[in-house]
Amino acid sequence: MSTAERAVGSPPRGSVAAHWFRSLQLMMRFDAGRAREWAPMMAIVQIFMGAGMAITYGFFYPVVTPTIALYIVTGTPTLALIPLGLVMVPIGVSQQKVERTFDFIWSLPAPRSAQAASTFVLWTALSIPGMVAAVAIAAWRYGVSLTVSPSIVPAVLLSALMAISVGFGMALAISSPILVNLITNTLVFVVLLFSPIVFPISHLPSWLAGVHHVLPFYAMAQIVRAGLTTGVVTNLAWWYLVVFVWTVIGWGLTAWVVGRRG
Amino acid sequence: MATTVKAETANAQPPMPSWLHGYSWMTRWDLTELRLMLPVIAGVQILAGVGFVLGLGLFFDRMPAPVALYVSTGVVVLNLTLVGLIVGPQFVADQKLAGTYDYLRALPVPATSAAVAWYTVTLIAGLPAAVISLLVAELRYGIAFSVTPSIVPAILLTVFTGTMLGYALSHAVANPMTTRMIAQLLVFWVMGFSPILYPASQQPAWLATLNAWLPFEHMATIVRAGLTTGIVTGIGRSYAIVAVWGVVGTVLAARALVRRA
Repeated sequence: MSTAERAVGSPPRGSVAAHWFRSLQLMMRFDAGRAREWAPMMAIVQIFMGAGMAITYGFFYPVVTPTIALYIVTGTPTLALIPLGLVMVPIGVSQQKVERTFDFIWSLPAPRSAQAASTFVLWTALSIPGMVAAVAIAAWRYGVSLTVSPSIVPAVLLSALMAISVGFGMALAISSPILVNLITNTLVFVVLLFSPIVFPISHLPSWLAGVHHVLPFYAMAQIVRAGLTTGVVTNLAWWYLVVFVWTVIGWGLTAWVVGRRG
Repeated sequence: MATTVKAETANAQPPMPSWLHGYSWMTRWDLTELRLMLPVIAGVQILAGVGFVLGLGLFFDRMPAPVALYVSTGVVVLNLTLVGLIVGPQFVADQKLAGTYDYLRALPVPATSAAVAWYTVTLIAGLPAAVISLLVAELRYGIAFSVTPSIVPAILLTVFTGTMLGYALSHAVANPMTTRMIAQLLVFWVMGFSPILYPASQQPAWLATLNAWLPFEHMATIVRAGLTTGIVTGIGRSYAIVAVWGVVGTVLAARALVRRA
């Protein structure tokens, strides 16, 4: 805290950028300190959600063929990231609002963009362990061996960042905590059921398949799947673009709300 | 309802309203309190029911008819238990956090009439959604359900057990956050790990054995028996297991409510 206070007192020396990064660093230390309390729990929930869904989806099939198994396992990272971004982030934010810590954090003498960036970076980092564990469990359960390529790293980081950014922006844009809870839970349910994450997009009616060409969920599943398989995913650049654009939308939403409340 | 009369006489010292008055007040109270939430609950219910009916069809290139039948009859159980088992406890947890719980507990109403009122409300909240889910399944997959009179006791018992287990979770678990967490885990368990929407034979043997002692699969069995002919066997055992769980929930809730009274 004392460092943060010192940062208040002294006007930013050096460039604006230096001040911004200094703020980001402080905010990240501050957020990481608070995260110690809930981060393990979050990883557990993520493992439960990701691996749990991967396992239960298999129950719905009378016979799980190798193709079905491959789709489920390579969809698991996405299954573990979507609830995190779309439910846990918004609920975390709305809890802060209820507890009134949200206003406190906003009142800290750091640029709000640095505060938001700190949240994005921290959550993205924290989303990885639970996700990896979920995939490992799913792969073990279905006996699928994955061909992991280096492209999994940007795929996962960008996907996590996108899910978190959209979730954060949504949580800020909707003021009522109850509404946030409701919308996010509904959204995640619909998304997880009606997105071709654990099954091929060819199962969808063409209009729904078309919608998924611009929504982030299938795109996210595609870029992650491309990092875990060879020869399954095509048109990769487009899917990266879709995920990237949604990340920017999440940031835009955040910036808009932050600016409005200025 | 025999316990009802006893409870009324036992608690008769303070000026208690008659059981029926208490029941009617509490039903209205619950409905009034939920009035803002009711459209939301209805929405969630329809979403869950119709969502599973339509969504699980996408798991398959062409939805096999037995799968469609299993899913659409199983969804009825989700609709019937969602409010009593999942929404109710979270609602009570909110009341505890908001401080209205103690106030409600202090109302001069017999505990049983409050419980039966809540049962009524969960029944009201579950039935329309269940019907809608079935209609959608019929339209989407061309399933012809053959409804038999046994659907009535099956529904009444399923809702009863779901609601009473939720009631126990609401009142016997003191910490509202724990209640919330268990309710969340229950959603997961009921929707994914219970053989409601698919046959138990598609689960690993140990999980299927565990589920054979839990109420959820059996709720699906008795409800399915009321909607189809020739698929379900061994209904007697299923009715017994669901009923026993209903009694367990009731006893747990009653003990908690009496202890704190």
